[in-house]
Amino acid sequence: MLSSIILKVEDLTKVYETGLFKKKYITAVDKVSFNVSRGEIVSLVGESGSGKTTVAKIILRLLPPTSGRVFYNGEDIWEKKSIEDLKKYWREVHAVFQDPFASFNPVYKIDRVLEQAFNLMGTPVDENAIKEALKEVALLPSEVLGKYPHELSGGQRQRLMIARCFLLKPKLILADEPVSMVDASTRASIVNLFLRLRDEYKTSIIFITHDLGLAYFVSDRILIMYKGRIVEEGSPDELISSPKDAYTRSLLESVPLLYGKWAGF
Amino acid sequence: MSLLKAEGLRAYYNSPIGQVKAVEDISLSVEEDDFIGIAGESGCGKSTLANVLMMNIRPPLKLYGGRLFLNGEEISDKSRDYVKEKFWGTVISIVPQAALNSLMPTKRTKEFIIDVVQAHKKISEKEIIEMAKNKFIELGLSPSVLDLYPHELSGGMRQRVIIVASTILNPKVLIADEPTSALDVSTQKQVLKMMLDLQRKQSIRSTILITHDIAIQRQVCNKLIVMYAGRIVEYGNVDDVLYNPKHPYTKGLINSVLTPEPEVRRRGLMALFIPGEPPNLVNPPPGCSFHPRCPFAMPRCKSETPGLTYSGDRAVACWLYIL
Amino acid sequence: MFKIKKFTFSISVLVVVILVALVGPPLYPKLNLSLYAGTPDTPPSNEFPLGTDRNGRDILSHLLIGIRTSLYVGVIATIIALTIGILVGSFAGFKGGVIDEILMMITNIIYTLPAILLMILIASYLKERSPLFVSIVIGVTSWPWLARAVRAQIMSLKEREFVQMSKMSGLKGYEIIFKDLLPNMASYIFMSVALLLSISMLAEAGLSMIGAGIDPSTESSLGVMLQRAQQGEAIRLGRWWCFVPPGIVLVLITTSLLMLSTSIDEYFNPRLRGGK
Repeated sequence: MLSSIILKVEDLTKVYETGLFKKKYITAVDKVSFNVSRGEIVSLVGESGSGKTTVAKIILRLLPPTSGRVFYNGEDIWEKKSIEDLKKYWREVHAVFQDPFASFNPVYKIDRVLEQAFNLMGTPVDENAIKEALKEVALLPSEVLGKYPHELSGGQRQRLMIARCFLLKPKLILADEPVSMVDASTRASIVNLFLRLRDEYKTSIIFITHDLGLAYFVSDRILIMYKGRIVEEGSPDELISSPKDAYTRSLLESVPLLYGKWAGF
Repeated sequence: MSLLKAEGLRAYYNSPIGQVKAVEDISLSVEEDDFIGIAGESGCGKSTLANVLMMNIRPPLKLYGGRLFLNGEEISDKSRDYVKEKFWGTVISIVPQAALNSLMPTKRTKEFIIDVVQAHKKISEKEIIEMAKNKFIELGLSPSVLDLYPHELSGGMRQRVIIVASTILNPKVLIADEPTSALDVSTQKQVLKMMLDLQRKQSIRSTILITHDIAIQRQVCNKLIVMYAGRIVEYGNVDDVLYNPKHPYTKGLINSVLTPEPEVRRRGLMALFIPGEPPNLVNPPPGCSFHPRCPFAMPRCKSETPGLTYSGDRAVACWLYIL
Repeated sequence: MFKIKKFTFSISVLVVVILVALVGPPLYPKLNLSLYAGTPDTPPSNEFPLGTDRNGRDILSHLLIGIRTSLYVGVIATIIALTIGILVGSFAGFKGGVIDEILMMITNIIYTLPAILLMILIASYLKERSPLFVSIVIGVTSWPWLARAVRAQIMSLKEREFVQMSKMSGLKGYEIIFKDLLPNMASYIFMSVALLLSISMLAEAGLSMIGAGIDPSTESSLGVMLQRAQQGEAIRLGRWWCFVPPGIVLVLITTSLLMLSTSIDEYFNPRLRGGK
């Protein structure tokens, strides 16, 4: 179904320029193209330096691309200029970042990130909606409201960021390594929250991650990124059982497994 | 004879908000040819335990009880300086967490190795370089690395250099604290391979690998210790613990590991995941510290702390298994 | 914070000095700023507790008023330098690109010009010599270091996720600067205020002493008093009461301000507290 595509990335390229006199060019993202359909979970998997976070920042309209375009519902997002258009875009395309501590301004109480959602929606702050959203992510309002970020655990902070998504009900969430800094025992429950957002609101999610295991578990489709390019794309089972690209194969051979054992080790 | 043996170790941090009970009643023994994994989440005390096991105890950390034997000699009644002088580098070595960032950018690899070795034993520079060269060749690394600066090395190579430096004097026990958590998966595998090689070639006799990633321990360890809130909750052979976890926490922890394997997808995430958050170690819950998050908690769990109880070579600290 | 001795000491000194400046003049019964209030060159006595200068001015009266003027110049110049420094630094750091390059070019030009020379030039071209004018001259020349420091901090802070979160909540650039970035630099700004106060009071004294500052015929400040002492050859003639009191007060104020700023730094940077 062509009509259900909500995000279309076309030949996205980002070149960084460094050096004052002798310019050096670093191609962080090299002609990346992919689509995301409504309610689909896509993972962008790559190691550090693969350019996956740069792609996320461009889609979030935080970093301009050198060339290439990003279409959201058929509109080029880099042609949106007015603050009203941008607010509408960010209401529908939202982010959850890796470091749940850095996502909060340490001088404000955590309530601020939830109240900001109302600024984005242009409606007055609704206490009941906040409580409802906290319930969705299994946080007690009395436990978290009125507290400063450093008084909460990493898991609680990341849940709050997801509570913000429950308030906004965005159409697309970019989750940049959302569980890599969360304790193992709380990780599963946070992954579940993302899955629930998809199931209940048909939210599309792009997981940006280095963790092939997470990608395999949650995704409908996996894109493998290496040195700025997408080297392979496929359904999780396809990719795991018959990887075609050499890099994907070497990645799969290096991932520690829980049940299988590394050959020749 | 155990290379390293701990009996009822207790070590607390004295902080302004109260005592942080990071190591609570820990007993374990490390035999020759063991590759022991210590698993647990951040803040469960595993890094503190690593330091306590080599008597690297400095305020605010203080040893409050228990005994520790290294190579047959009791070291828990000795001072840190004595143990450092007599054992560090030669009998027991550690690759601390974040060692990767501790390399001096202005020193070549060989100077770094010379510094590390001379801190433990008075040997001439020439001899050390000779030993390092041999070790590099033995482990399949290029000796030319010795002449390079840290910024010329990849993260994986830097970590391997650090491990070589701390094992050049062939210590019996190597403790590695999250040696690969800052590395990409492909380099991670190379570093782990080298650690296995070191032990196979008998440069070291046993390794303790501390990491939050059970999948890594599954690949390289033969035994696994699971820690929760400063205590050991389960111990056994890796395969036994993995395929037949007993403690509810171990079950939850294994269930929350996501690896690209069909078994994981089939098993699902909902099978059993652990609600709530790890406890703070200033005021751990009374009784079994896991009881507030445990789906099988009984009245007894809230008041009495289960001890680590052995049956054969398996041990578990849970009232479900103690009759 | 009062556990840090330096902080307690410097705050106490400053409070005493400010109190003296505020309530000293109305409480001193013999306040007299006119020439020949007494016999010239009288050493400290019951009638003139700090003596008189060669024109018969009562040193204590002038000292009390002089502290006021000097503090006034310090505060006004600090407000001006702080405002310019923060605005220039934060916009340059936040906007980046061309705006950053232009703003930093201006900053660097002013930074490399010797401030005292600039102040002498401005002061000697213009006839105006009021304390307010001197404050403005000092204020507009002493902000570049602050702008550069603020810019550097903003540049590292703006990459943090919470800034991107705020941006994605539809906050405008200036809102992000004032609500997200600057509050995170509060301790640094607080420290800079203490430094700026000290810098500008010293600048006032320096300017006035060489005659490029406040008009000595109408106003008194610590710098003006030092200038009078110097012109009356008080040092050669051994009339210590003409230069010791303003000198001591100036040193007390600027040292306490420096101590205050280092103790603020220590408080917020536990690494500097030395093992505690």
